[in-house]
This record gives sequence, C-alpha cells and structure tokens, in this order.
Amino acid sequence: MTATNGMNALHPAGNKNHGTGPAAGPGALKRLASFPWWHEVILAILLICLLTYAGSVAPMFLRPGVQIGLSDRLWNVALLALPMMMIILTGGIDLSVGSTMSLSAVVFALTFTHGAPLWLACVAAVATGLACGFLNGIFVAWVRVHPLIVTLATLAAFRGVAEGISLGRGISGFPPGFQAIAHHNILGLRPEGWLFIAAAAYTAIVLAKAPFGRYLYAIGHNEMAARYSGIPTAKMKLFLYSLSGMAAGAAALFAVARVDTARANLGYGMELKVITAVVFGGVSIFGGRGNIVGVIMGLLLIYETREFISWQWNNDNLISIIIGGLLITSVLLQVALRAGKTAQ
Amino acid sequence: MTEITKDAPAGQPLIRLVGIAKSYGGVHALSGVNLDLFAGEIHSLCGENGAGKSTLIKTLGGSIKPDRGEIFINGRPTAFSGVRASEAAGIGVIHQELVAFPHLDIPDNIFMGREPRRLAGLYLDRRRMLRESAALLESLGEPLELRRSVGGMSVAQQQMVGIARALSQQCRVLIMDEPTASLSERETATLFRMVRQLRQRGVAILYVSHRMDEIFALSDRISVLRNGAMVGTFARADIDQPQLIRLMVGRELAQAEAPGRRHASTGPVLAVRGLTKAGFYEDISLTVGAGEIVGMAGLIGAGRSDVAKSIFGLIKPDSGDVEFMGAPLPHGSVRQAMRRGMALAPEDRQHAGLVLPMTVEQNLSMAALKSVSPWGITRKKKERALAARMVKDLSVKTAAVTLPARSLSGGNQQKLVLGKWLARTPKLLILDEPTRGVDVGAKAEIYQLIRRLAADGMAVLMISSDLPEVLSLSDRILVMRQGRISGELPAAGATQEDVLKMAMPDAPQVDPATNIITDSPGEEIV
Repeated sequence: MTATNGMNALHPAGNKNHGTGPAAGPGALKRLASFPWWHEVILAILLICLLTYAGSVAPMFLRPGVQIGLSDRLWNVALLALPMMMIILTGGIDLSVGSTMSLSAVVFALTFTHGAPLWLACVAAVATGLACGFLNGIFVAWVRVHPLIVTLATLAAFRGVAEGISLGRGISGFPPGFQAIAHHNILGLRPEGWLFIAAAAYTAIVLAKAPFGRYLYAIGHNEMAARYSGIPTAKMKLFLYSLSGMAAGAAALFAVARVDTARANLGYGMELKVITAVVFGGVSIFGGRGNIVGVIMGLLLIYETREFISWQWNNDNLISIIIGGLLITSVLLQVALRAGKTAQ
Repeated sequence: MTEITKDAPAGQPLIRLVGIAKSYGGVHALSGVNLDLFAGEIHSLCGENGAGKSTLIKTLGGSIKPDRGEIFINGRPTAFSGVRASEAAGIGVIHQELVAFPHLDIPDNIFMGREPRRLAGLYLDRRRMLRESAALLESLGEPLELRRSVGGMSVAQQQMVGIARALSQQCRVLIMDEPTASLSERETATLFRMVRQLRQRGVAILYVSHRMDEIFALSDRISVLRNGAMVGTFARADIDQPQLIRLMVGRELAQAEAPGRRHASTGPVLAVRGLTKAGFYEDISLTVGAGEIVGMAGLIGAGRSDVAKSIFGLIKPDSGDVEFMGAPLPHGSVRQAMRRGMALAPEDRQHAGLVLPMTVEQNLSMAALKSVSPWGITRKKKERALAARMVKDLSVKTAAVTLPARSLSGGNQQKLVLGKWLARTPKLLILDEPTRGVDVGAKAEIYQLIRRLAADGMAVLMISSDLPEVLSLSDRILVMRQGRISGELPAAGATQEDVLKMAMPDAPQVDPATNIITDSPGEEIV
C-alpha cells in the first residue's frame, strides 16, 4: 500500500476510482488521505510561505530581474537532477556528477587552449561527460558493482584526473561569444533555463506516459521481476548513467561560461546538492517512488531558501543548517504521509 | 506415542476468537470468525487463497488489529497491541518466509530481541545463548551446528530454528503457515514428528496447509474458512477429503484430476538440442509441439528451472541449440525470445513474477506495454482494457485493477503472472511450478486454463514437482535427474512410480504424506 504512493502519483485519476469504491462511506476524509499529491502540495505551500515572507521583508528579492540573475545557480543543479532522479528511481545513485563536471570543464579548456575551435572544445566536454557516465554505467550494469561504490570511486578518480591534467591551475580567456551563453537571456530566461524546461517536460512525459518510464519504476521496485519481464535492465542503466554524465558535461560548459574559468574544483559538492533536491522532492532513495513535480518543487524550495538567506543575511552556515532542517522535515513528512495511508 | 483424537475437547480453550472481523477497503477479509484452540491439539486451518487464513494468522500474531471481535486467552479477553504483545501471550508464528536474519547464527536468531545479557546489560551472554539453544534443539531431537549462519542451512533446519525460537518464548500456541511448502519428504517426516511432540507437551498448534494428505495425517480438528467466514470446525474423523474440498470451495470442482484431452502434436514449436551449461545441466534435448503439454518432472535441484531459464534467455548456456518457430534462437536474449512468441511464468512469483507494489493493471501490462503504447505513449484506456480483459479471462479476484498486486492472494497473484504473459498471446508458454502454494479452487481453474490454451494450439512446457499434476495435465513427460534428462514417458498409462524411478538416483520411494517429490532442499534459483 505504502509503496504504491509514487505510482499512483503518476495516475491520480486512476486512484480516484478506488477512493469512490464501496469503502467511500466516511467519504471526504478518506479521499483526502488517499490523495496522491500531498507531498507536492505541502512543498508548494512551504514555497509560497517562504516567498511571501521574503516579499514582505525584502521586496527587491522577488523582482523578476533579480530572480533571473540569481537563477544562474539553480539551472545546473536542476539539469543534473533530471537524470539523477531517474537513476534514483531505479534504486541507484550517481555520486560522480560533480567531478564529471570538473573533468569536462578541464577537458574543454585544454582542448580550446590547444588551438581547437570552440565548437570542438564544447563537443569534447560533452563527450567527456558521456564517457565518464558510460564508464559508471558499465560497472553498474554489467560488472554489477553497487552504484554507490562505483560512483564513489569515480567521484574521486574523475576529479583526480581533472586536477592532474590541469595541474591544479585555473584556465580562462574564452571568447565573449562563449560567455554569452551564461549571461544573455533568451525570452527573459537563460539558455540553460530553457534547456532545463524542455528536458523536464520531456522527462515528465516519459515518466508518466512512456514504457521507458514505467520500466524505471518496475526496476526500482523489483529488478528481478523486471528482467523476467523482458525489460532490458542493464541497457537502461547504462543509458541512464551515460545520460547523467552527458548532462554533467553540458552543465560544466554553462558553469565555465559563467565564471570564465575552468578549474578542477568546479562542481565541487554538486552531487550532494542534486541528490538533496531529488530526495527532498519525494523520490525514494530505495527506488520505485517519486515523480517529477515533486522534484521540481524540491529544487525550487531549496534554491529559493538558499538564495533568500544569502540575500538577506549572507550567511553560508545558516543556509546549510536550514537546508538540513528542511531535508529532515521532508523525510518526516514522507513518513507521516505513509503512516496516514497505511492507517486508512 | 499415543495419538489423542479430540472429538470435542473438554475444558477451557487456550485461545478463543469470537466474532473477529476485518476489512480492507470494502473487502471483508474476515467477517465474524469464531475459533477455539485447545492445549495439545493440532488444529488445521483450511481455505482457498483469499479465504482469510493469512488475515486470521496475522490477527493472532498481533500484526493486524481486527475491526471487531474479541480474543480470549485462557478465558480472559485480551487485546494485542502488537507482535510483542502476542508473543508475550505465548503465541508463536512460524512464517513461510522462515528466519528473519539469515546472516546470523542459530543463537542469534533464537534470541533476537530478547538476548540474555550480563554485566548490567552491556554485554550479550553468548555462553548462555549457546547453552540454551543447544538444549532447545536437543529437546526437539535435532542437534544442529550452532555457530553456522542460518541462511546456509536447509529449509527444514531453518524451520527447526523457528520452532526453537517459538519454544524459547514459552509459547503455548504455535501457528505454522504452510511449513512444508518447500520441504523434502524426509524433512516433512521430521517436521511431523516434531509437531506431534509439541502436541504432547500441550502446545496448541494451528496448522495451515494446502496439502490435503498432510491435513488428514496430522490434525485432530479441522476448521474451514471460506470468503472470510468460518464454515465450520470438524473432528478429523467426521470429514473426508472430498467433503473438505467442497467446503473450502463452496461448489463442486470440475474434475481437476481427470485426464484431459490428449492432444496430438501438430508440429514442433520448440526444439532444443544438446543444451549444456557446466555445473547446471548437460546435453538437454527436447521438443514441444503446438497444442502439446510437455511435463517436466524431477527432484528440486535437478536443473529443470535452469533449463527453462536458458531456453527463455535469462541464462546463457555453454553450448547447444534452441530452435523456436523453425528458426534458431540466439542464446541469452529474453527480448528475442519474447518477440518471437515465448513466455516464461517463473516459479518465484513474488520476486521474479510480479512487481508486488505496482498495481494489478501495471503488472498485467508489464510484458505487453508496447502493445498498448502506440507511438511510444502508453494509452491509459488501452492499458485498462487489456487488464480488464485478463482479469475477466482468468477470473482474477480483485476489487480494482488499481490495487497493488501485493494485496491479492497467492492464487490470484499466480493468475496475474499467467495473465501478464497471456496478454502477449505467446506461441510457447513455459510454466515453472504453476500451482505452487495455490489453493485447490484456483488450482482447478489454472488446470482448465492450461488445457484450454493447449487446445487452442499453444505449446506448453510445464515444470512441476506435483506428480498428479504432471500426470494428469501432460501429453508427454520428461524426467530430469541431476542435470540430465533421464527419461521420457507418454503420460497415458504412466504412474507416479514410473516417474519416480527415473527421477530418483536410488531406489524409488513414494511418500504417502505428500505428492511432492523432492530430494535436496537446494535452491534452483541461480
């Protein structure tokens, strides 16, 4: 009963049917308890509370211009959260996204400074990310090492390589045309933002409506049964980890463009930010449960909290404490909701 | 040992259930169930899957709170607040899924949660744990090596540990949920001896089983549940097997055991030649024709499931050929096998057959999702129609297709596994233990279904350890022994002895208590 939460969340219409079944006696209350979007609604309420408060103490903070300017720090986390969410849905995890970013960034910079054209350097960065992810995927899907172990190892390894080949130096001096991708808006939004919106929309459709999405949930719940059903579990995992690496490669480009410097410490701690947002959004770390609306709410809430605190008090310690508190609240919330569901 | 048959036990029942009711959603799992358990009796609880046996057991075990009704222990009304409270009241449950901590050793498992301690509770009193464990197992007549991890022991030995744990809690009521489901006959005999011994000590035993012979061999009294209601409690002498089945099912069964139509094979659908995987099976050759049911008998561990998995592509064989629908099938590709029309309903439906937390509908469409997803988008309506059709065709009992598969009873879960594959209308259906843990009613329905499918021209390869089942359903019987095919018989005229002779390495022995022939409790799952 509890574990169907995420699945039902995909098809709230389907769930209504059984709410109005023969047991609808006590009626509204019961239907309220089986409402599949509680987690998302509560995150939305928290977000509204936060923004209302922010608007009252610092009206400037809510200005569109300010928000778009600040969103620089949202998009790369958001972009990486999509493949991470799918990986976590299958019961896996990718800890290496941050160091994949750093390696991609360094490869990009070195390719460019060695005289390659800009486009080739960009391709090299994305290809590096893809290769990193593919390597993770090989170990997870074929050699069958636990993803936590695999990506913990590559977390260290990729950054080590990045530091080695860049000799620990920052590399800068990219053409203004390249920097523009992080500093100019298209229709009021950063190009990275548009990329995320498109990718999120596509992911949402895949998760809710395509066999691939259904298979992700099946793998997360019971990989053996998925394999027995002819679902290509190994290929799908290989694809997901590759996708995650590729997204990290792309995110690295945007990050380099923003600061005009490629350095091996780029993307440091990224994996934790991404995983926090995904888990905060209600995706079960054990796989099988979660949906994209939750992840987007989680991303927004964490990001707005972080930005508001740094805007208002400029205190990094406070940010960490509050984000930690929010995460615990979210987990308690999930436990409470699940208890409510089982109790009916 | 003197057998005490209690026609109408005198005195106060150890446990009395009065009017126990429990419902989930709108479905009544139990409605007004009464049950008396007396000290020193073996009381069998019978009923089809879904009749409410599990709910009743869980109620006694304290993990479910009934909506209504009362539990009296020694005449005093008691409400269990949880499993601990039930244990404290002297009720022990031995579940099908056996030990809780496979990586720990026997004393750890026996005393988990109640370990004796020393030095102000800071340290485990290992010595006392070992001593008491040894004494317990000794008293059961089964001295075991104490320090081995329990997961590596045979199923029977694990059950001994479970019984020892129950006894260490001074339990006066022992609930056994299908304890023989995966025991060999020798182990079953040991278990029976132990159960009778417990009865002599005055323990009340509530014994749940689907096996008629066991029920009649062991019980003093038999209670029958049907659709959540207690049909009645009978002394063993007052009831016979056909009557009991009638009471469980509530209708006359279509003669399940009668030999069906003997279909003549019209052409080979599957031809396997010289299939070998070192250490698993060797030189397997077999054919299955359209409309033919080929039974595969043998002991557990003979390699039958591995052969099936290899044909289906889940295991890659070392050598040999699989020819399917007139063309060779590449090894190790489930996708290819499925695309060409092969289906495998695995024996372990909970882990390999279904995704239990997902809905009935999603499980039914799992293998045929592409067919309800034109242009790569799953159409809700098509999917629901597919699920509704399978639910109707196989008469799956479920309140809604949006319920999780977990909420269904064993027999209905098995129907889901079949439905999931029939949704693809396969040309060859491989069934691995299609009726294991399935009650008589659902069994008969599954038999009829298999016959109907074969009559419609489907090729069926059926692995089963249930000899009467193999004999009555198959057109031909293949017997495997230690990884090889040891013989082939036409089903017409074959007897259990014939099959056993080929299956057993040594002199054949027919067990009167069970229909299941097993030798080693080893696992078939790789």
